[in-house]
Amino acid sequence: MPTDRDLILRARRGDAEGREAFGELVTRYQTSVFNVCYRMLHERGEAEDLAQEVFIRAYDRIHTFDIEREFGPWIRRVAANLCLNHLEGQKVTAELDDERDADSAQLPESVQEIRERSEQIRGALASMPAHYRVVIELRHYQELSYEEIAEELKIPLSDVKSHLFRARKILAEKLHASN
Amino acid sequence: MHLTEEQLNEYLDEATTERAQIEAHLSSCEECAARLSTLQNVFAELDSLPELELTKSLAAPFTLHPSLPAQLPKFLTLTAFLQAAVALVALIVAVPFASALLPQIELPSFTKLFFQIQTQWTVWLDQLSTFNLPTFQPINLPTLEMSSLLFTLAGVSVLWILGNGLLLRNQMK
Repeated sequence: MPTDRDLILRARRGDAEGREAFGELVTRYQTSVFNVCYRMLHERGEAEDLAQEVFIRAYDRIHTFDIEREFGPWIRRVAANLCLNHLEGQKVTAELDDERDADSAQLPESVQEIRERSEQIRGALASMPAHYRVVIELRHYQELSYEEIAEELKIPLSDVKSHLFRARKILAEKLHASN
Repeated sequence: MHLTEEQLNEYLDEATTERAQIEAHLSSCEECAARLSTLQNVFAELDSLPELELTKSLAAPFTLHPSLPAQLPKFLTLTAFLQAAVALVALIVAVPFASALLPQIELPSFTKLFFQIQTQWTVWLDQLSTFNLPTFQPINLPTLEMSSLLFTLAGVSVLWILGNGLLLRNQMK
């Protein structure tokens, strides 16, 4: 199986084979990128569209990608940034998606409980301002350090900490209230 | 003196150099230990979020080729070669006829026609200068022989067949 590096080098050719190679990369990382978008946006259709946009932009800039870096973490950070820009550009908060299946009543009680709790967590995340969501995403799901988050978002380290700690506090209150 | 929010967060993020002091405080302060527990729950809740599956593949725009012209049916492929062959035969057959007919064809002379028009125009101008109504004098157009018409038609047909054959041949590639 070709490595990510091989696929990126092939994708850089820009021909039909290069597109195929990039398509293979997309297949590898599409679920994780989609989940970044979904955690940030909490709306499936919008998250899928943004995830697609992430890959299209990445393909357009594949020549500028540093081949020594890992593609997966990079593409997930790109996704988080794109979602942040998208959220900040939105004037009206979109109606949030309800991921629960229509036939959830037929599922075992334990599975239903897990789904409901997941929805509460996603709902709590979605209710927060975009700059709080993105620090949660980058710290908890992409495991970036405070310094890396500051560099990625181009904000002071003190802002990273205040956003992150405040976001956790809000989440604790919301999740406690929904229990 | 209790631990600050920053200390508790940095402790859980493993981003503090005061780890030993914080742990010493936590072991003796129930309130701070409870606050830490609440924060740990948030971490656990976020970690518990399952990954969702996509409903469509995002790789499709990269793996699908742009739509190419549909492959021509086999009989059309044969027709292309047939047309080219017919065109070649027609050309070979047409050559002797062309060489025989060409000297007989009286092609209209452009200079002659132009001269006639010019003369006619001068006549009209003369008539206008005398304020007389112009009288119509038909121009003697050169007469075309039937053979020259047929020859032109045959030539155009050959060119059309040849061109069509070449076009179809390009599409087959």
